[in-house]
Amino acid sequence: MTDFDLVWKNLFRKPLRTILLTVSIFMAFLIFGILTSLNVALDRASESGSASNRLVVSNKINFTQSMPYAYVNRVAAIPGVTAVTYQNWFGAYYQDQRTSRFVGFAVDPETYMAIFRDEARLTDAERQAFLSERTGVIVGKSLADRYGWRVGQTIPISSNIYSQANGRRSWDMKISGIFTGAKPTDPTTAIYFHYDYMNETITFERDQVGTITVVTASPDQNDQVAKAIDANFANSPAETSTVDEKTFSRAFLKQAGDLNFIVTMVVSAAFAAILMIVSTTLVSAMRERTKEIGVMKTLGFSSPRVLRMVLGEAVLLSSLGAVLGLGTSAFILTGLSKSPVGSSFGDLSMSPVVALSGLALAVSLGLVTGAIPALSALRMSIIEALNRG
Amino acid sequence: MSALIQLKNVKKTYKRGKESITIFDGLNLTIEQGDFVAIMGPSGSGKTTLLNLLGGTDRSDSGEINFDGERIDGYNEGQLAGWRARSVGFIFQFYNLMPVLNAAQNVELPLMLTKLSAGKRRANVETALKIVGLWDRAKHRPKELSGGQQQRVAIARAIVSDPKFLLCDEPTGDLDRNTANDILGTLQQLNQEMGKTIVMVTHDPEAARFAKRTLHLDKGVFAEVTQ
Amino acid sequence: MSLLNQTGSVIAMNVRSIPQRLWMSLATVGSIALVVAVLLGFLALANGFNQTLKGSGAPDVAIALRDGSAAELNSVISREQIDLLGQGPGVRAGPDGRPLISAELVLIVDGIKKSTDTKANMPLRGIGSNGLLVRPQAKITQGRMFTPGSNEIVVGAGLLREFSGFELGKTLRFGAQTWKVVGVFEAPGTVFESELWADAPVIQSLFKRGSTFQTARVGLTSPAAMPAFVKYVKDEQRLQLKAQSEQTYFADQAERSGLLIKYFGWPLGIIMAIGALAGALNTMYASVSSRAAEIATLRVIGFSGFSAFVGTMVEALVLSALGALVGVAICSVGFNGLSASTLGAGFTQVAFRLQIGPDIISQAVTLALIIGLIGGIFPGLRASRQRPLLALAT
Repeated sequence: MTDFDLVWKNLFRKPLRTILLTVSIFMAFLIFGILTSLNVALDRASESGSASNRLVVSNKINFTQSMPYAYVNRVAAIPGVTAVTYQNWFGAYYQDQRTSRFVGFAVDPETYMAIFRDEARLTDAERQAFLSERTGVIVGKSLADRYGWRVGQTIPISSNIYSQANGRRSWDMKISGIFTGAKPTDPTTAIYFHYDYMNETITFERDQVGTITVVTASPDQNDQVAKAIDANFANSPAETSTVDEKTFSRAFLKQAGDLNFIVTMVVSAAFAAILMIVSTTLVSAMRERTKEIGVMKTLGFSSPRVLRMVLGEAVLLSSLGAVLGLGTSAFILTGLSKSPVGSSFGDLSMSPVVALSGLALAVSLGLVTGAIPALSALRMSIIEALNRG
Repeated sequence: MSALIQLKNVKKTYKRGKESITIFDGLNLTIEQGDFVAIMGPSGSGKTTLLNLLGGTDRSDSGEINFDGERIDGYNEGQLAGWRARSVGFIFQFYNLMPVLNAAQNVELPLMLTKLSAGKRRANVETALKIVGLWDRAKHRPKELSGGQQQRVAIARAIVSDPKFLLCDEPTGDLDRNTANDILGTLQQLNQEMGKTIVMVTHDPEAARFAKRTLHLDKGVFAEVTQ
Repeated sequence: MSLLNQTGSVIAMNVRSIPQRLWMSLATVGSIALVVAVLLGFLALANGFNQTLKGSGAPDVAIALRDGSAAELNSVISREQIDLLGQGPGVRAGPDGRPLISAELVLIVDGIKKSTDTKANMPLRGIGSNGLLVRPQAKITQGRMFTPGSNEIVVGAGLLREFSGFELGKTLRFGAQTWKVVGVFEAPGTVFESELWADAPVIQSLFKRGSTFQTARVGLTSPAAMPAFVKYVKDEQRLQLKAQSEQTYFADQAERSGLLIKYFGWPLGIIMAIGALAGALNTMYASVSSRAAEIATLRVIGFSGFSAFVGTMVEALVLSALGALVGVAICSVGFNGLSASTLGAGFTQVAFRLQIGPDIISQAVTLALIIGLIGGIFPGLRASRQRPLLALAT
């Protein structure tokens, strides 16, 4: 028999009580596992496809305001800029505006594919086809799977912003290629097509670009280049705001609401609740055992060893609930990743960081809930303990 | 015979609220190796305090307590715990077995404080349970055993690490006469055949008769010695 | 003693014994309070957002958008279309005797969200003199209305609460032009409070919108005139617009915010409730076992098993009701009226206040009482099965 055996047997002295406590802890860690992973996935989504040496130039008024096409070449001429490309948000949808909206950008194929080679992976043949076909479009694999699109097929892509001179709101586009992301888990729910094709046919906002992507020689030069770009367009009708890609997408995601804050609040509430439940139950469980602890001490078990056993019991209990809770949330997240809603988050599976911080949290929860009973066991005098009960 | 335990000029005072109550003021006591002493006395005579001092579960205010050449009165809490584990076997009135452990595991408990191998531990547990005649009940939980059987398991627990000294607190206080006599017989046997030094606190004159001698404690003083 | 009396005295004994398990009982109350608070927080969030959207729409104002546009941002309307709208049936006349139509355009400018210190989309709405007439809720409370033809802006009080950059008296730059904030308006409980307003023709010219607008709000003589007007817009081939009552327009947008509650609020509330239920069961089992001797004695005297059951049940319900009370109190003090903002259907921020109402309180309290009910049933059954014994082995 080891100390662990003794701790284990004590833990299951009243199985129902232990199972109920495990359920409480399980639920808290289920919440922790799922919410934290969602948060991590969102954070990653804002970073996926962002490189440290890329900047985004947008209209200073707001990124939905456009800039003159001439800006592209003027930005390219600024020292420290090694490549530029540009894109227009199209407000794309396929057939039904309410249910099948997705990310659609009009881009300059050559410079776009040069800069985003890793984020939108294509075969050489597909790349060539996209360059040569004026009405070509490249579509993300996730979207192609959803709508059953194949290379070579011509599909009508509608815009909820633009319309053609002939009154039509949709453009016929021929699928030149189906791209995958840098990692198989990256979401690929976007389409990219020729800026020229769109620009020649739209009725307003012609020769305007939405945002310009800039590649700098190195990330150290980002600040300097961004300042140079913005200074170049100062006091013009379309002043610019240039930030790195990550900052740009973070700010956009934050607009929906402060998920971080909500997650922190809910997880804290859940943990506050089990902290109360578990620690008070452990205190009362330990009170029942006062005499036994007195006997152990009389037999010669040192106070620190008794303290370790009581703390060990609490840590064991919380780890048990935590492992089950984290395991179940990992399982649920895998399932969620495959659902249509979840897939737009990209990779939802639990990251090792979340799992490890969950386990660390379990150990601290055990230490905190075990602290009061453990300290009272440590301080308990043998004489008082044996006289009780 | 040499002295196993020697108390010299021991003082012990308790504080109860603002009042301080003196239990012992200059207590002297010598217990020889291989002795079996019964201690009797009315409530409040200091029996329990003496038991705690002898067992190293309480500390004296002044005076000396010697055990087999060791001065234990100066020990700190950790040293006392180690000393108890090595040197004393405890037997309580209400057995005080761990309800979550079976008989063999209860007996093994003190061996967790030693560095013995698993195999050696098993052998010791078996020997101890065989001495008290309960090896066939090794897998039973305390609540599946009678009072007398539980007390035998407690005795096995007390002797499993082979201490020189057994300290018994009303070991038969909760048992019927026949069972009590059985238990006392076993203690007597441990004293005679294995040379265990035993101190037993009891209310029961019948029980005291099993001892080699009886000390009467009254108001912190040994009033009378019966050989 | 009648069953009723029996039960009554057992309940009293149970409730009076709660202090004996003070900490565990408090933990039960506390954990249930947290469940209620979290659920109520989510419900209040959605409720506040919904109420703000619903409060924005008037039944006698029709909103016309380009057919196929779901939001104002994506719509385009010409001067000619607006004149045609004025010829529709049931259109009310303005003070000038002409049809009451507010032709408007919205574009997005950056503000800074105070809570996250990040850029956020603010709607800058160009309106004419009819803009205020179709929004009777809106009133200038500080400063003054913008002067037509000038680069002046008035700002909504809700926007000011949540975002910085548009304080009264501030001068702003949009492109090469400077604008001045000259007034603050309030339109309590509506999305309009999250907007910036300026003169429509000035916006058209400074933002190169020619003479186009995005939406038209048409004042009708009464809500009853709505169907005929909607039909007119639908059938008039030269319009290619879609009209609907402003009330319906905002109610549709409110519908979508229910997702937050459906996929987030309730699942979280239920998961937490199960965790709290486990705690409640533990407390109630502890209660039953600590009173085993008492219950057995009562059974000997002649009390029924049923009274023991009810006693435990009521104790559990009292604890959960206390928890619900504390949870509602936490929410009322901590969350009710709290200002928040999110991206609305128009791709711009909507500022709103969390709102706790009787309907959502009753939902959260029901959840708490369910915890109490289930948390009382099983321990209650154990109590009712306690056999009458004269002496209990300890």
